[in-house]
Amino acid sequence: MVTYFFTEAGVVKAVDGVSFSIDEGESVGLVGESGSGKTVTALTILGIVQKPGRIVSGQILYRGQNILQLNQEESRKIRGRKIGMVFQDPNSSLDPLYSVGDQLMEVVRVHSKLTKEEARKKALSLLELVKISEPEARLRAYPFELSGGMKQRVAIARALAGEPEVLIADEPTTNLDVTIQAQVLELLRGLQKELGMTLILITHDMGIIAEMTTRIVVLYAGRVAEVASTKDLYKVPRHPYTYALLKAVPRIDARKQLVPIAGNIPNLITPPTGCRYHPRCPYATQECTDVIPPLEAAGEGRLVSCHHWKELATKKELTFA
Amino acid sequence: MSGQQAPVKPPTRRRSASQWAVAWRRFRRNKAALAGLVIVGFFAFLGVFGSTIAPYPARDPVCFYTGCTSLGPFVNWSHPLGTEPAGYDIYSEILQSAKNDLYVGLGATLISLGIGVSVGALAGYRKGTSAALLLGISQIFFVLPALVIILLFARIFVTLVAVGLGLTLIMLILGLFGWPGIAFVVRGEVIRLRELEFVQAERAIGASNTRILYRHIVPNILSPIIVFATLTIAANILTEVAISFLGFGDPNTATWGLLIQEGFQYPNYWWIAVFPGLAVVFSVLGFNILGDGLSDAFNPRLRE
Repeated sequence: MVTYFFTEAGVVKAVDGVSFSIDEGESVGLVGESGSGKTVTALTILGIVQKPGRIVSGQILYRGQNILQLNQEESRKIRGRKIGMVFQDPNSSLDPLYSVGDQLMEVVRVHSKLTKEEARKKALSLLELVKISEPEARLRAYPFELSGGMKQRVAIARALAGEPEVLIADEPTTNLDVTIQAQVLELLRGLQKELGMTLILITHDMGIIAEMTTRIVVLYAGRVAEVASTKDLYKVPRHPYTYALLKAVPRIDARKQLVPIAGNIPNLITPPTGCRYHPRCPYATQECTDVIPPLEAAGEGRLVSCHHWKELATKKELTFA
Repeated sequence: MSGQQAPVKPPTRRRSASQWAVAWRRFRRNKAALAGLVIVGFFAFLGVFGSTIAPYPARDPVCFYTGCTSLGPFVNWSHPLGTEPAGYDIYSEILQSAKNDLYVGLGATLISLGIGVSVGALAGYRKGTSAALLLGISQIFFVLPALVIILLFARIFVTLVAVGLGLTLIMLILGLFGWPGIAFVVRGEVIRLRELEFVQAERAIGASNTRILYRHIVPNILSPIIVFATLTIAANILTEVAISFLGFGDPNTATWGLLIQEGFQYPNYWWIAVFPGLAVVFSVLGFNILGDGLSDAFNPRLRE
């Protein structure tokens, strides 16, 4: 998929050839720094990229059907009913004017022809599903009366109202207290198992992703750097960027100094030529500046986009095993 | 709005306080705002029942026949506020005028609201050429001098005035030229809300643009709209007075402006202009302090 933002300063190539596949029932993590294209990838999957952004090319295959080619009416049916999304900030993701019950009932009634009473029952069962205390009373509460964690639970309930098969959670815990974070993650994991949903978790928190996912897609500057199972990725990262990313995470077992990644994420109006990571990569060669590395198979279920992954794989210092 | 500090009410309450209940509670504590509401209520009462209470019909030169012309105020209790040399009873005329002044003030404001909210909401929600075009049109209307155009139209459509539609004409023109202010306010608010996550969340659940705009964005900006509308009513009443005073109004329809203009012609009979003038001052004052009070009541930063 390719999504550009056509701004006055130039074309921002936010997502530039990102491609990955997800199996049913899987939980996949989308990792990368701020500005690496994680959120735009999610919005592209849902087809709700707003101007000046535009999905330039690519396809989103959902059970073999390209949902970007559906007309407006059909694609609205996909959203919410097939793919749900939980947003980053629970404080602004609920409409302050409507009570929790009204907001849940609205979604329920957008997607199915239920009577008001049936919709209310459904909303109540959704609140029970996300384990909110006193759901009957919360139904009548307004968002400003709820805590951040509770609001995020309501937001999750809303995303689940259409009984989607895929749930995209865009940094669902970034704005929450650490203790609440754990609860919300636990809830998401439980729901995924219970409902057999596919979960796409977007985050920059390598700790969360390690706990929550089975497979990881590492994005860098709008491209896929590496795809691997969570276990493999943490043990033996193949892409130098992934390695650097893991190196920048504090670990309680190893009292080593944290190593920040030198430099900044590039300006996506004029991204670097060749491999987009080459200006920050200690192993970059002339080839990296000139040629875009293909995303090639690198072992069991692994993909990596690096010219030198084979040589680097022999270097011992690049593993955490 | 920050979640953690918001006190969670005990769940025993029937229905927890909505934004409106909170605003009303704050409004009730504001003495000036309550006074504004009382004044506006009083004039609304005059608007509805003024013609019934008034002892004489509108534009009826009663004293022309009975010879009680040019009476001062508080002299003869059949004509408590005095009479004009032409025989009109000031007290009756003021009461009869109330509905006409409110008709222009409210009617023009409703027209402006209809156009302004629609144009502003679309100009804010859409992006690209159509939004720029709507904004451009608003700006053109904003710089047009409405009063001059109204005076011009009042002359062009003098036939309408002759058949008694003069007031409606003034109301229509005031409404049709008074909307850009509302459009700007609405546009700004919509642009702010458009990027919030709950709007994105609505998109993510498959809600249509129309639904997002009218069920989620517009209701969220009702408070600035209401405040602006209240202040616009006051401004429209004043403009109508100005038009009548300049002699471009309908001489056959009683309005406060017309009375003031008649008073202006007889400088020795001060009461002809002063009493309708007081009516204008108090009604405009009432709407203005009501508007201010509403704006304070809706302001989330003043939340205690």
